[in-house]
Amino acid sequence: MTEPLALEISNIQKKFGSEFALDRVGFSVPQQGIFGLLGPNGAGKTTLLRMLNGITAPDRGKISFYGEPLGRHHLPSIGYLPEERGLYKSMRVGEQALYFAQLRGMEKSEARSRLKKWFERLEVDGWWNKEVSEVSKGMAQKIQFILSVIHEPRLLILDEPLSGFDPINAQRVREVILELKEKGDTTILLSTHDMGSVEEMCDEVALLNKGHLVLNGKVPALREAARDGRIEVTFRGTVMAFTVAIGASAELLSIQEDSTHAGEHRAMLRLPEKTDVAEWLHWITGSVALTSCTPWRPGMREIFIHAVEQKITEMP
Amino acid sequence: MSRLGHIIYREWHTRVRRKAFILGTLLVPILIAGLVGLVAWLDQSEMEYHRVLVIDESGIITFQNDSANARLPRCPRCFPQREHLVYRFTNEALSDQAFLQSEYTAMVFFDDGILQHNKAKFIFDKTPSLRTKASVESDISAAIERLKVQEELELDFQTYQRLKTKINLVDEDVVTKDGNAFGRSIIGFVFSLFMFIQILVYGMHVMRGVIEEKSNRIVEIIISVVRPVELMAGKIIGIGLVGVTQVLALTLLGFLIFQIGGLSLEWSGALTSGTNAELELDFKTWIAQSSSVGFLFDVNWPLMIGTALVYFIAGFFMYASLFAAIGSAVDQESDAQYLMLPAMLPLLAAYLMAGMAMENPEGDLAVIGSYIPFTAPILMLIRLPLGVQWWELVFSMLGVILTAYVMVRISAKVFQTGILMQGKKATFKELFRWLRYR
Repeated sequence: MTEPLALEISNIQKKFGSEFALDRVGFSVPQQGIFGLLGPNGAGKTTLLRMLNGITAPDRGKISFYGEPLGRHHLPSIGYLPEERGLYKSMRVGEQALYFAQLRGMEKSEARSRLKKWFERLEVDGWWNKEVSEVSKGMAQKIQFILSVIHEPRLLILDEPLSGFDPINAQRVREVILELKEKGDTTILLSTHDMGSVEEMCDEVALLNKGHLVLNGKVPALREAARDGRIEVTFRGTVMAFTVAIGASAELLSIQEDSTHAGEHRAMLRLPEKTDVAEWLHWITGSVALTSCTPWRPGMREIFIHAVEQKITEMP
Repeated sequence: MSRLGHIIYREWHTRVRRKAFILGTLLVPILIAGLVGLVAWLDQSEMEYHRVLVIDESGIITFQNDSANARLPRCPRCFPQREHLVYRFTNEALSDQAFLQSEYTAMVFFDDGILQHNKAKFIFDKTPSLRTKASVESDISAAIERLKVQEELELDFQTYQRLKTKINLVDEDVVTKDGNAFGRSIIGFVFSLFMFIQILVYGMHVMRGVIEEKSNRIVEIIISVVRPVELMAGKIIGIGLVGVTQVLALTLLGFLIFQIGGLSLEWSGALTSGTNAELELDFKTWIAQSSSVGFLFDVNWPLMIGTALVYFIAGFFMYASLFAAIGSAVDQESDAQYLMLPAMLPLLAAYLMAGMAMENPEGDLAVIGSYIPFTAPILMLIRLPLGVQWWELVFSMLGVILTAYVMVRISAKVFQTGILMQGKKATFKELFRWLRYR
């Protein structure tokens, strides 16, 4: 028997006034991985995340959570770190952490012991008795992150979890997220504009634009599918000799000196469709001293832009 | 504890532990009591020692006692011994210069014309306190009165005093048999005023709390765990309980101050019977026999307090839910001003009507106002001490409770949409549109 999907979103629709925030959106989130929810501002991501948290309801369509129709009784199994997040300024850090953990249905003693471990892990343990107004922004971000994972949710929704962190703390939180993934008890839904994080952490993504799903799939497969015949080569010799050698066999997109290897150049080429790359390489190496040749795969940034604007920006 | 319980506790606990709340609740009544004590002490200390020379030029209330070699009053009891006031009598006027050089602090001058015009000249170097002046006035009046009684009626003064009568009108409602309508309506007014202040102050607390959660971006985390309506209810109940806590603390303090004040007055011997100045009374008896505050013991306090509590709970839910909805619709407090006005109008109207209702608690204004749900929590409390029919009370209470329920439902719809809106100016049209969202 196959494991149920963590989330199955089917044909959901949400309208605010005359505007569709989401229009017939559907995709699935498998268990135990990191799923990226991408899209430009106003794409409908926050509306969708709010639906998953029971904050709003779809006008049409349905959402399944581990094989069951999503209901309020599932909310204690969901952790949520919204993009717009804050803390009560007039409360102490520890008192506030306990309050949120208890709101998530945890017993006070259990919450206290788990919080202690998380506070030590993210190095905020000295701030337990401080007022939130005394805490730095980065420290508050870490506390908010802890509050989203403290109840060990089956589904963890993180909306821009790394924004506002310095590089060191961002790396620390990134490691924690990857550890949660490795542990395998939590499915993570990551909404971010940081495509580097998507490539590094996400197994699969869905991309929304103007309330529609425009792209959905595994990250390596999407990158592979987005290949357009470009290759990147490095060579020794002059630019002129290289240009003459390739002639009309390939379109030269860019060329520059290789800063890492003296006397070498790096060039981006696009081969015509149906070109046998091995044969072309054999032919070109007769006249140019190639030192490397790599098929170019677009990054998530290019894929995102292409999907949203329906074109890939020209690479250097 | 349920989630709602946690929200209620947080709202209550974070507020009652604030220094401002503790100072406001505990210190203010103590300060008021201290202020009253200070005024009383200053008043007492103001009773500086006075030697007053009574110049009875025509010798109408004094006579020359040769054995004592002094002029003495014909009615010594008219000039009782007082710690701060000593009289000397003469029939020879003193010049201003002689007065200034004398040991006297004031002199009263009159001749037999006083019997017609009832006026005497009070001359002093330094203005005496009102209390001293009143004592002198009272004593001279008593002496002249005695003279008149003896001369004109050939009646001895004691008999005259015994026969002298002052009638008080003791009012009674023919149905409820209750009396002192004005005093009772004052009790009602005090309750309604307190109700107005509590609803307004803590209603504003609810609004500020919602705006704080919205502007601090906490709200999205909370409503991912609890329903918006639960958050709103938790906030209203928690903050309402802060108001109840304050009332209980003030009541307890007021009771203690009342008891301590009463005991101090008892010990000082200042509580004497209105009909017999020599009969000292305990505090309770003194209040009970007092014509001005004696009705306090006739008020049905359990009914009054119980009813006030029901009206407070329903009325607070009614207005606080509106304030919560307004708070959810704006990003900052200053934006809430124009939305606040229509919400506060019925409350302000009730307050204005309360002043008029106090003067005529059974007039049409008070009666109709006590039936209208938005004004009933304030106006019914004015009528209640004077007695209302049971069906009026039930009708009015049900109206308030039902309206509170409807207002909470409407406000919750606005709240659940508004609380997540950022940077959008909420017009009335927009608010009505939110009512239709799922």
